Amino acid sequence: MSQGHCTGYRAAESLGPSRRGLLLGTGLAAIGWLATPKTALADLAIRTSVKDGPTDTVVVLFLRGGADGLNAVIPYADEDYYRLRPTLAIGAPDTRRGDRALDLNGFFGLHPSLRNLMPLYESNELAIVQAVGSGDQTRSHFEAMSAMERGLAEDKGSAIGGWLARYLAATSKSDDSPLRAVALSNVMPDSLLGATGALSLPDVEDYRLHADDNRRDKWMRDLQTLYGGDDALSHSGADTLRVIKRLSELKTESFRPATGAAYPDTPVGEAMRQVALLLKAEVGLEVACVDFGGWDTHVTQGATTGWQPGLFNELANSISAFHTDLGDRMKRVTVVVMTEFGRRVHENAGLGTDHGRASFMMLLGGGVRGGQVAGVWPGLAKEKLEGTGDLRVTTDYRSVLSEVLLKRTRLASTEDVFPSFQSRPLGLLDLARSA
Amino acid sequence: MELSRRDTLRMGAAGAALAALAGCGPAWRKVAGDPVPADLAPPPVNPEPEVRLANRLGFGIEPGQLDAMRAMGSEAWIEQQIEGDQEESLELTLQLHRLDVLRIDGMELRDTPENEIVRQLQQAAILRAAHSRNQLRERMADFWTNHFNIYARKGFASYRKGRDEREVVREHAMGSFPEMLRASTRSPAMIAYLDNTANFKNAPNENYARELLELHSLGVDGGYTHRDIVEVARCFTGWTIERGFLRPYGQLKFQPDWHDDGEKVVLGHRIPAGGGPKDAERVVDILIDHPSTPKFLAQKLSLYFLGQRSPELEAEVVSAYQRTNGDIKAMLRPLLMSKELLESPPILRRPFDFVISALRALQADTRAHQTLQDAMRAMGQPLYEWPMPDGYPVDFDAWSGSLLARWNFALNFAKGRFGDVRPRLHELRERFEGDDVAFCCAAFFGLDPRHPGVSREVRTLERHFAEAKTPNTLDEAAALCLCAPAFHWR
Repeated sequence: MSQGHCTGYRAAESLGPSRRGLLLGTGLAAIGWLATPKTALADLAIRTSVKDGPTDTVVVLFLRGGADGLNAVIPYADEDYYRLRPTLAIGAPDTRRGDRALDLNGFFGLHPSLRNLMPLYESNELAIVQAVGSGDQTRSHFEAMSAMERGLAEDKGSAIGGWLARYLAATSKSDDSPLRAVALSNVMPDSLLGATGALSLPDVEDYRLHADDNRRDKWMRDLQTLYGGDDALSHSGADTLRVIKRLSELKTESFRPATGAAYPDTPVGEAMRQVALLLKAEVGLEVACVDFGGWDTHVTQGATTGWQPGLFNELANSISAFHTDLGDRMKRVTVVVMTEFGRRVHENAGLGTDHGRASFMMLLGGGVRGGQVAGVWPGLAKEKLEGTGDLRVTTDYRSVLSEVLLKRTRLASTEDVFPSFQSRPLGLLDLARSA
Repeated sequence: MELSRRDTLRMGAAGAALAALAGCGPAWRKVAGDPVPADLAPPPVNPEPEVRLANRLGFGIEPGQLDAMRAMGSEAWIEQQIEGDQEESLELTLQLHRLDVLRIDGMELRDTPENEIVRQLQQAAILRAAHSRNQLRERMADFWTNHFNIYARKGFASYRKGRDEREVVREHAMGSFPEMLRASTRSPAMIAYLDNTANFKNAPNENYARELLELHSLGVDGGYTHRDIVEVARCFTGWTIERGFLRPYGQLKFQPDWHDDGEKVVLGHRIPAGGGPKDAERVVDILIDHPSTPKFLAQKLSLYFLGQRSPELEAEVVSAYQRTNGDIKAMLRPLLMSKELLESPPILRRPFDFVISALRALQADTRAHQTLQDAMRAMGQPLYEWPMPDGYPVDFDAWSGSLLARWNFALNFAKGRFGDVRPRLHELRERFEGDDVAFCCAAFFGLDPRHPGVSREVRTLERHFAEAKTPNTLDEAAALCLCAPAFHWR
């Protein structure tokens, strides 16, 4: 089949017996697992090989609306940037001034409002990929998000569910935690579409039934009866019940943020704090999705102050607080920051930017080879731009996500997670090893 | 068509249930064409035609509604709903009369805080959906509100949304789509929400143009290019809202010197130079005549009412659009009179559907104030607060991630814990002749307890009534029914 796709990862595959091997070898264990396929996605696991070893918790922070990568990771050494963005451009690094880009590698600089990420970049825990994106040509939020969340080049063709759902199905075990995958929101993101047992969990600390205390057991039992069926909604109900139970056993109040972890008092800061809480409580969290909206900066985007700088500030402070809060636990966590597309290179008359193509991604974690800006810079000269003046995509976002899954989780092949995609590792991460 | 429709309407519960089991498409799964194992398909819980109609055309059953529908005949009831001209109750009219946002807007609301305005917008939508006799009209208002979604908390959108709801959505919800689209292009709320206020000559802002094509008319596969988006944006340059000193702040305004008056080519149609404000009208003309527009609408209406695509019915909707110049009633008829409506797999209620159905089942007396709205927020659907222009999703997966907030709503509602929501549970029980389990099944599911679609529900209720005899027993039984899977399908 498509074994050849991932030649770079043969080594990873050989580390342990594959899922297929396990199925053939240890019949008894396999029967229990096969007997309870919950969705069509469960079939995937039969075809996808997994390996033994540790698995990072993957935290996906999705910047919704199309975040402008050019003002996040500023190509200050490319003079076309200043030509195309007369008012929105951020000045080249100058350590005497607080409103300038912060130098990353002599070519790119970080937006000054992202300054709280600098220590993480300098300690080699944060890596950046510039000019990354999907193949989506519609420049529609919904098409582009759908493409990325379903793990496709564009929002065309068939793939069952979201990419995280397929990853979860491929690595599923019979004893999976009920809190294996959570979205810190009321509405499920498409990346978890079809994921068995994925849960939308808007508030970890208040996930309880509003029944009278002496009636709680009765309610749990009655709900178990009501949701004992084998249809999709019954599965959701049963998952909800398992999580209520698990969280009721936790003393969530004992997991206060560590000293110095100052989460912003915003929905995103709060969501990151709750992800950290679940990690500290060791509930078996493998995937967490956090949505960060508001990046569709068509008008008055702001250069060093205003709309987008405010979002950068919130982003940097949330990530930095999360890092401080988790301390040593960051060794087993990979945070992925992504967005559906970047924005037009030239600013518009409303001092904003329209929908474009390539943007940036960030990876943070113990396994990240940080302190680098990866990817190929396509340039901003007229003939280098795509369509009506957009930064070209030189790195497929799936290369980054594939590398995360292959190096930091038990997945040994991404052929089902990213169908018909030839993964090209960028050297962004180290292989996870047992402690 | 006529024959099969009549047959279906007469078809008994068992027949419809079997048809539903045989499974049309896996509509409740968003990714089209996925194979779904039979045992994952939701159980056929709405096999009674009247129950299905009340759930699909409206927001669920009220006490006495099924008898009235049966007396009238299903077809006549559907026609009455399509006409949508029944006089509303005095109670609803008086309740709505108290809401400022329904009568005034913009400048006149300037001393009212945003939270209060959003609260009133939500109140109006909840009260109308729960109490209107024209249930289908309210369903369509919900459909179009999401089709032309405006996030009430962007900028000062909330101050303008009341008028948009009145003059765009409700004015045309059951009328002419072309007129509704035209009205939306002239809605200050929409013009500001999608940044047309920053759409200038020589520097077009594409935001509005893109969503006008992608979401409001042609659909993303409607056959336009990025060039068309830019050309449409150029046509709309100069349309903004009034901001001048001592001027009617927030009114629609055309600013001639911001308008790009050169020639444009939109979807192959040449729009000559010098058109001024007429350019935007030309764009609307092109869009309403474009074959992709009715196709896109047919697809969305099919998903909304049937929970799945239906190529045959969509073709009928398209031909109705073309025959009647986009008359919405004519477009709805093929879908609402179809046997697919009765036989398609159940659709998961979104939180709005769920809350309104609960209010209706118990004829709850409410002002739909903050506590109820907070509960809807906890379930993920605070009305007018979906930030993206595509409106709230309708697919199963978007809403099935956790049921806890729904269960807590059920517990708090049935026990009367929402201060201003009073379910008439005990009153309804007294009027019902029969046992408690039969009452619950009739009130919440519209079914007889012997029906296979509610076997788990009945088993749980029987155990519940056998175990406890306290003053709260009936309240808890009502909460159980609202928690039960059968109440979340429609």
